[in-house]
Amino acid sequence: MEKLTKYFGGLAAVKDVSFEVREGQIFGFIGPNGAGKTTLFSIIAGATKPSSGTVRNRGRDITALKPFRLVRAGIARTHQIVRPFREMTVLENVKLASHFGRKKVANDAEAEAHAMDILTGFDLDNVAHKPASILSVGLQKKLEIARAMATSPDLLLCDEICGGLTHVETAAMLDLLRRIRDEGTTVMYVEHDVKAITAVCDRILVLNYGRKLSEGAPDHIQQDPAVIEAYLGHPPAKRKED
Amino acid sequence: MTLIEIVNLLVSALLLAGIYAVMSVGMTVIYGVMKIVNLAHAGFMMMGAYLALELFERLHIDPILAALIVFPVMFAIGRAIHWLLVRWLPTSDQPTLASLLLMFGLWLVLQNLGYLIWGNSDRSIFTPHTLSILRFGGITISSVRLVVFGAAVACMVALQLILNHTWFGRSVRALIQNRYAGQIVGVDDKKTASITFGLGIGFAGLAGALLASLYSFNPDFGRPFLIRAFVIIVLGGLESVSGVAIGAFVLAFVETFGILFVPAGYQLAISYGLLVMVLIFLPGGMASLTAKVRRLA
Amino acid sequence: MRVSQRTLSIRGLVQWRRFALLSILLAGLAMMPWLVSSPNVIRLLFLTFLWVTTSVAWNILGGFAGQISFGFAVFYGIGAYTTALAMNAGLNPFLAFLISSVTAAAASLIVGLPTFRLRGPYFAIATIGISEAVRVVMTNLSFTGGASGYRIVEHRPFLQLEHYYTALVLASIAVASSILISRTKFGLGLNAIRQDEDAAAGLGVNPYAYKLEAHALAAALTGMVGGVFARYAAFIHPQGVFGFQTSVHILLMPVIGGIATVWGPVLGGVVFGIVEEQIIASFPEIHLLIYGALLILIILVEPGGILGAFRRLYRRLHARRRDKTSNPGGGEADEIFWRPRRG
Repeated sequence: MEKLTKYFGGLAAVKDVSFEVREGQIFGFIGPNGAGKTTLFSIIAGATKPSSGTVRNRGRDITALKPFRLVRAGIARTHQIVRPFREMTVLENVKLASHFGRKKVANDAEAEAHAMDILTGFDLDNVAHKPASILSVGLQKKLEIARAMATSPDLLLCDEICGGLTHVETAAMLDLLRRIRDEGTTVMYVEHDVKAITAVCDRILVLNYGRKLSEGAPDHIQQDPAVIEAYLGHPPAKRKED
Repeated sequence: MTLIEIVNLLVSALLLAGIYAVMSVGMTVIYGVMKIVNLAHAGFMMMGAYLALELFERLHIDPILAALIVFPVMFAIGRAIHWLLVRWLPTSDQPTLASLLLMFGLWLVLQNLGYLIWGNSDRSIFTPHTLSILRFGGITISSVRLVVFGAAVACMVALQLILNHTWFGRSVRALIQNRYAGQIVGVDDKKTASITFGLGIGFAGLAGALLASLYSFNPDFGRPFLIRAFVIIVLGGLESVSGVAIGAFVLAFVETFGILFVPAGYQLAISYGLLVMVLIFLPGGMASLTAKVRRLA
Repeated sequence: MRVSQRTLSIRGLVQWRRFALLSILLAGLAMMPWLVSSPNVIRLLFLTFLWVTTSVAWNILGGFAGQISFGFAVFYGIGAYTTALAMNAGLNPFLAFLISSVTAAAASLIVGLPTFRLRGPYFAIATIGISEAVRVVMTNLSFTGGASGYRIVEHRPFLQLEHYYTALVLASIAVASSILISRTKFGLGLNAIRQDEDAAAGLGVNPYAYKLEAHALAAALTGMVGGVFARYAAFIHPQGVFGFQTSVHILLMPVIGGIATVWGPVLGGVVFGIVEEQIIASFPEIHLLIYGALLILIILVEPGGILGAFRRLYRRLHARRRDKTSNPGGGEADEIFWRPRRG
């Protein structure tokens, strides 16, 4: 049972947000723009320091760890705006992660084999030797996830990976997330699209103006009046009993 | 140390700060608007100095007045170079290595042109005023330095006025803050960039001409001044005229009083050392930039 | 699976061919003194080998890792002076060279620890500052002769061939290191750091440590070159070995030849060695002009340098055969500085 607890305070973007993530879940974060979702992720991923509060993973305090050490601790992240290594091939992008990830690889050939396996699992093996720059955005997002998974993480942070995708692509992406969870990786998922989040998450936390607004299972969130007000701006109209 | 000596040093520092400031302003505006680190700045200062030399020797124009002529000439040259070379660089919110190397190449070219046209021996401009000294009580000031200081201050004030009260100045300030947003709002960033570059080069040349009346020079003389300019604009926060003034004073102060503690030969090392330390340790302008770079998308 | 098998066998073939070619080249260079009798040509080759070494060395940090340093003269100079001091103290020259590489590497750590926090141009500017500061200090340091320089007294006779082969071995080591790096985890990590340091860190690469390592290796090689040169010239002075001009030359070669590739810096070193000697002989006044103009041209037209230009030409001529035989392009930087033009 993994406990991932975060208490923050004071950062203008995120205030006093605390929560716990259990292993094997897909834990979602939603909130209006500017609510602090990406900041939260940045803090967990080690890119930003919180003004106060701690991030704990399996009992260990990982707040101050630099990003590359977090990989060793089992945390990997994708970015909202994809950042593939454009001058490398798709395979090399993943091979890098295989080399520097948690799984020990003895040599280059082993890393390449590992990377190839991952790519096959993500249906990207047919473009393995093409430069990453030629992929479409949807495929680049998949590559981003594949790369992160190649570091053999326990926890994957997904930052708005469905941004700009079609309905079909989004559904495929959500299936991918479910598969990742079923294969043993916990997922923390930030998304703007409420439908996507409620469809795939086991548990959701709603942020508004940097504060925690609500937390719970998807149906609970959907019916929470505070959440509705935050999104729509007014209290939910009373249902007329017909 | 007597009080008079300290005051003298302070005055020296102040005068030096003036010339340092006007020397750095050119680099600052170019960096602020275009995020280009102008390594060729040294070359243009050199050009300004030699132009002043020519004006002095052929037309007998006093170098400080020559600066007034040098400025528009260098402004035009700056715009020409922007049109020829600089506008092809990819634009960015962060300084790029491509721009760095391009300006470096340009600097090499300018240096060599300097050597070809004027040779590599030291030159200097000697006017009847060069050695004259003014005295106020116990304070001695070289009159040339005072005039140069006055010219420098006038330039800085003029620039500040332009930035704050003209349409062009507003465009510049907009682009400095956010180039993309400026474009959306309707700022013609290409034209503003071109004029800014011209201004930057113009000021470089002007500073060179003013420096020519104070020091001797050769085609490579820009380099120590270039490093000083870096120190200043980094100290001052990279994006404002007043910041430059502050940075200039700090450096001038450190250099002037540093003479007391460090043997003469190591003087330049002070500026270089300060540059490195400033780049690494300084909070404020510099640190916030590195913080921006570190933030993940 | 079929695709990768085929690529592997083609790679194998290409590797054998390359290996054979390289061996022939190396053998040829080793036999040069017997094929050519002119000591001038040997001297030219000697200098070229040294330049190739610094070029390849700088490229490890500046090309592979993308950290452009304008201050490599520091390591060159430290290597030169270390060797000079060591030899004058009676040490065997080759031992002196080794010690030089160590001191240069140590210096690189001192330089790198504070400066690798900086990115891009800020790092570059800091290296200029450090380089100049060191030069100023060395110019004033009296026990190494200060500005008037320092002489090495060697009691062994001057054997040109000894210098020749030393340089050849050094250059070979450098190129071999470069090839090795480009094919291993270290090189992949450096490449990632060059393209996107933060993304690389997010995947487990330790950018700070890697940069320091690349820097140390590059500095060690450069320091040895300084030492070998110092022994050859028997006289060194701060303006020369610590001069900004030296840093500039060291940087120009790989950029002109083809930055961030394995053979680009070699090409740059060769071109530089030959051209520089000829130009200095015939037109000493314009060599800065030529290098500056070349640099400008490269940045604006072909950031991949001479090698990049050749590649582009090759691709255009063999456009149709591209699919089957082309190198997937791992790690070669055609677009290191260039973002595609809009529209």
